Amino acid sequence: MASLGELERAVMERLWAADGPVAATRLRDELADRGVALTTVHTVLTRLEQKGFVRHDDARPRRFSPRASREEHAAELMHEVLGQAADRQAVLARFVGSVNDEEARLLRELLAGARTRDAG
Amino acid sequence: MLPATAVALAVLAALLAWPVPAALARSRWPVRDPLVALVCWQAVGLAGGLSMIGALLVHGLAPWGHSLPEAVWTVLTSRPAGTAVRGDHWVALTLAAVLAFQLVGVLVLSWVRIARTRRRHRELLELVVQPGPQADARLLEHPAPVAFCIPGARPLLVLSSGMVAELDEEQLAAVVAHERAHLAERHHLLLLPFVAWKAALPVLPAAERAHGSVRELVEMRADDVALGSLHGTAPRRTLAEAIVAAAGGQGGGAVPTGALAVSGTGVRARVVRLLEPADPLPATARWVALAGAVLLLLAPTALLLLPAVS
Repeated sequence: MASLGELERAVMERLWAADGPVAATRLRDELADRGVALTTVHTVLTRLEQKGFVRHDDARPRRFSPRASREEHAAELMHEVLGQAADRQAVLARFVGSVNDEEARLLRELLAGARTRDAG
Repeated sequence: MLPATAVALAVLAALLAWPVPAALARSRWPVRDPLVALVCWQAVGLAGGLSMIGALLVHGLAPWGHSLPEAVWTVLTSRPAGTAVRGDHWVALTLAAVLAFQLVGVLVLSWVRIARTRRRHRELLELVVQPGPQADARLLEHPAPVAFCIPGARPLLVLSSGMVAELDEEQLAAVVAHERAHLAERHHLLLLPFVAWKAALPVLPAAERAHGSVRELVEMRADDVALGSLHGTAPRRTLAEAIVAAAGGQGGGAVPTGALAVSGTGVRARVVRLLEPADPLPATARWVALAGAVLLLLAPTALLLLPAVS
């Protein structure tokens, strides 16, 4: 039994791969190897809509399409990670922030200096 | 006449609002033992809030009794105040309520807001990133060398492809060990009160200072813990190299303008203490610092609960 998270990812893969809006029945057929019921597909699609990853049109039956590409979602995340405002820094623990060019040069000199001393 | 307790608490609050955090932020020993320093910072924060609210409370309740339990008991049993209740008593009580509400409220609000953003990040990650070989580590396709973790009930550790490309295997292991240390020691919880109080008391320069110091200290602590689990020939050097590579790495042109880099001094301090480690704090000094932290917490608690001297 696949977890909801895995199913969500599988559904998104299909939606991203499709060249237009996709009906839930087609998604069920494409996921046939997982033995997913149509109600499950609808549950997954509802969850994805709530998370803002998927939207549907007004056709009957409804057809679903991704709101943004995978790359756009990745970019959104990286934008938040790289452009952290002060309070956002509390959200995640980043290994190290980037410093400006001058600082980066100083840091490399620091490393090089230590290496020379180790050798000598 | 102000009760001596209120005066003592007010003096303590004043000390903890500026001179004590300033001295702690300026002193050099925290770099040698980040963990003990983090304990001290928590004590300063907690004792500061306690004595600030306590001073107002004790003064406001003075007509009803000389100590907090006595006054509360008088009010609860609906006995009349011993002396006349003046306007300044009401002002002090109101201020105490506002301050307590502000501190606790902002703490809760920060927690909720941070938790919401974390959930969003986790959702995004689970969607765009394939599960990695390790259950808790993910690989994100992005040229900028970035590593981070999202704390919480289901923590996630994320490495960007740029980071993997930039570092060798040992350096990468050092980065992962550093992030795991953040998660294992729940550093986000140590940081939370200081994030919240910086937001709650923007007028207090000490809040800003404390936040900055605690941020640096959790990074140093995570470095120390990471070193313990690394096996290479020179783990200190490996970790320092990883830090320099990640800090100096270009964002692949994707770093948003406006994204201000972290202060270089903090990164430099981390690298310096890895390359030229200072002697660890002597055991006596550690115990003195820890005892100081405990005393700092005991002082306002005792002042609040024990019968006043006056």
